Amino acid sequence: MADKRITIRATRFDPEKDKSPRLQSYDIPFSDDSMVVLDALNYIKSHVDGSLSYRWSCRMGICGSCGMTVNGTPKLTCSAFLRDYWPRSVTVTPLNNFPIVRDLVVDMEDFMHKLKSIKPWIIRKQEIPLGAGEHRQTMDQIGEFRQFSQCINCMLCYAACPVYGLDNEFLGPAAIALARRYNLDSRDQGTKERLPMIAHPDGIWECSFVGECSVVCPKGVDPAKAIQQTKLDTTMRFVLPYGNRE
Amino acid sequence: MDFESYDVLVVGGGLAGIRAAIAVVEANPRLKVAMVSKVYPMRSHTVSAEGGAAAVLRPEDSYETHAFDTIKGSDYLADQDVVEAFVREAPIEVIQMEHWGCPWSREPDGKISARPFGGMTTWRTCFAADKTGFHMLHTVFQTSLKFDQIHRHDEAFATKLLVEDGRCVGVVAIDMRSGKFDAITAKAVILATGGLGRVYAFTTNGNICTGDGMALAYRAGVGLKDMEMVQFHPTGLPFTGILITEAVRGEGGYLTNKDGERFLKRYVPNKMELGPRDIISRAMTTEFEEGRGFEGAHGKYMHLDVRHLGEAVIDSKLPFMRELGREFVGIDIVHDPIPVRPVQHYMMGGVDADISGVTPLAGLYAAGECANVGLNGGNRLGSNSLSECLVFGAAAGRQAADYVSSARAPGSNPVGAMLKDETARIEAAYLDKKGGDERIGAIREEMQLAMDVGAGVFRTREGLEKLTKQLGTLRDRFEKIKIEDSSRTFNTELMAAMELDFMLEVADVITYSALAREESRGAHSRRDYPERDDAKYLKHTVAFRTDDISPRLEYRDVRITNFKPQARTY
Amino acid sequence: MSAEAETATRTYRPPMGAGWWTRKGHYFWYMVREFTALPLALWLLWLLYEIQRAGRGPSGYYPPNSTAFVIFSAICLPFALYHSFTFLKLAGVILRVKLLDKPLASGVIVATMFGTWLVASVVVGAVLIGFGR
Repeated sequence: MADKRITIRATRFDPEKDKSPRLQSYDIPFSDDSMVVLDALNYIKSHVDGSLSYRWSCRMGICGSCGMTVNGTPKLTCSAFLRDYWPRSVTVTPLNNFPIVRDLVVDMEDFMHKLKSIKPWIIRKQEIPLGAGEHRQTMDQIGEFRQFSQCINCMLCYAACPVYGLDNEFLGPAAIALARRYNLDSRDQGTKERLPMIAHPDGIWECSFVGECSVVCPKGVDPAKAIQQTKLDTTMRFVLPYGNRE
Repeated sequence: MDFESYDVLVVGGGLAGIRAAIAVVEANPRLKVAMVSKVYPMRSHTVSAEGGAAAVLRPEDSYETHAFDTIKGSDYLADQDVVEAFVREAPIEVIQMEHWGCPWSREPDGKISARPFGGMTTWRTCFAADKTGFHMLHTVFQTSLKFDQIHRHDEAFATKLLVEDGRCVGVVAIDMRSGKFDAITAKAVILATGGLGRVYAFTTNGNICTGDGMALAYRAGVGLKDMEMVQFHPTGLPFTGILITEAVRGEGGYLTNKDGERFLKRYVPNKMELGPRDIISRAMTTEFEEGRGFEGAHGKYMHLDVRHLGEAVIDSKLPFMRELGREFVGIDIVHDPIPVRPVQHYMMGGVDADISGVTPLAGLYAAGECANVGLNGGNRLGSNSLSECLVFGAAAGRQAADYVSSARAPGSNPVGAMLKDETARIEAAYLDKKGGDERIGAIREEMQLAMDVGAGVFRTREGLEKLTKQLGTLRDRFEKIKIEDSSRTFNTELMAAMELDFMLEVADVITYSALAREESRGAHSRRDYPERDDAKYLKHTVAFRTDDISPRLEYRDVRITNFKPQARTY
Repeated sequence: MSAEAETATRTYRPPMGAGWWTRKGHYFWYMVREFTALPLALWLLWLLYEIQRAGRGPSGYYPPNSTAFVIFSAICLPFALYHSFTFLKLAGVILRVKLLDKPLASGVIVATMFGTWLVASVVVGAVLIGFGR
């Protein structure tokens, strides 16, 4: 146990020097069974090569920063245990389908735009004043959207989605799931306002239900379900005479 | 030279920062706000808060008891006028969050529910399952997206406050992506940069909690108040330090030692698991020292047992805890007790600010964990900090909005010179530096371990004096660091170096402030001075930077209104 | 969004190779699922043609005289079954049915779907066999 070691291969890319990314190999001690891929990266950065760049913060699977591709699968590196790979080596590359800024860091501006575009806030025809207290909402009503409110914006779903990989205009799993989270909230009246983005050709209809987004989601959000349900709802809205009601 | 100019600049994109930014535009929709954050806002550490936000919403509850609980919890170091104002604002802010979409857990009648929490005499902790911080942060961030007046500078690291004629007029920040240094100017600056947990090795805090805002203000001449008051949360997972929420005890979980005994009966017999954090952390540490802890691969621990609550309660009230147990410990908390031990969690101290977030430096405001507005004193009660972020974030935002209506815009000449100086300083110290052989990671780890030992749950003169020497040596070694990364693009090594620089600064302040407070109060527990000394120390410590390594300390009376200090027993 | 975002910084966009669907079993079966639509469409076209032939009287559509179509139908059957299987399985994810104000578990929905499919197949089969006699 004391001298157990593991090989980590990580993507290196510095736009100031490199034309394209390459893999660099590090052989590091696998000193504790509780070590995760992120611990390995931190070990490398602290003790072997300070220039390796990646994002991370909470190391408890809730901040959504440390998503990377681990041996081909999008993962939160804070909860990808080395023991599940050892004695094989671990190859860490940036999230697929995003432009690489540096090493393991990807450009997520596209997602930030999409997030804003679906208006992820409560929309009401008439705001109730603060003095009137809270909206009444039962746990069953929360249950309608709870699953879709668990998204930590880690973007593993975008990395897993070939549709997004082939066409970056696609609104994507997390953004649509969030739109659905608000649409299903009993306090919200903004479904109609969100419709142009959602029912857009680059919205739900671009999705061909690969379903991998839901497989990789670390929070059980099931964006694929959100998208298909929205397809059904949107169609009903269009087809049924009463479907267009708020 | 022209710089990007705003009315108000917020440093930090967590709950307090975003709440402040929204408060500014709500107060005056014509104001232009910049939000500078070293991470995308939804990554901010608010996201890790679990248990809830305290607010008096139930008719059986009262402002007075919330105030008293908070003041008693603070070991009478809280400013009582601040607490009294806070408890009145907190319910309004919790309702505001509800209107913005926070999925608060509900009562059967649809009203916001509450749970018991440590040190609170009644149920007043509002919660969204056990991911309250996550839901609040995403709610407030997503809501902020509808305000076009808020201009975000994501992944920009503030290195210095710009001070012109005794007035704060912005920051110098590095855009991580391009490596470009920028002066971002504003008529007022609000610091909301969060805590400093990463000065300790064993902490619940994320990698980004490095005391940046405190160090920025300190270097600009603003005092840091009550920095010896560091909170240790009783229940962190061994090895990772991942927080197991106090809500586990609030919902009825037991803390047991290796003899299966609920040992808190010897320490807080009337409150048991719902005692305040400082006392429970000391109780656990004492039990460990007396040989009643479990021994594990990652040190001593206790059991936090929720098996008697049953699967239904756990899944509805504590689902994230079950998830964390499964993911990170490999246990199912429905069937297995959770291993826990005390872990650094929160900084009661911070940038000296008043009830409206006003600091002694004109144009500079502070809110949230990085500030000390006088709310938490010697020990913060669990679930007061999310409410604090809302109440004092909003207060600082409103105050800043008011201030900028009559303040003039900063001039660009001195700002240009300051930007040039700051760029040159950083380039010389890090980027263009030749030689050097010290690793950032090594110095950081040694600092963290030294802080764990010297400024932990219990402190002594010898331990703290040793710590000041260790920190001095580490500061000398820091001058000889080696930066391997020469790229300007997303240079996280440069950022780590600047964060370490900040952390060494605030670690010093913690240590010297702790050394000088020769009593035990709240989270500050001196073995050599085990009693509280109201005659001498019913006072705030305020530390000012000097050219020497040790700060200059001043003391300021605590403001007492309705609650006379008495013995603190539970 | 970031006012700072310098587009000047060069990024690298890894190309997405045409063989992406071979990288993962999940992607592969997705492609198979999508592909099954093709034989089904062809079968339907052929069926239309056979129906049209049947209109010309006994010399037209008569299975023993349409060996090619029978063989093709046999080939298409597994595709049709797989397509139906994936469709019904996924329907459980999509449909939201409430019974007595409680959302129905997706497993129940899926089971109902498959049950209905089975019953429908039996009925259709019986009718066809009945006609055949």
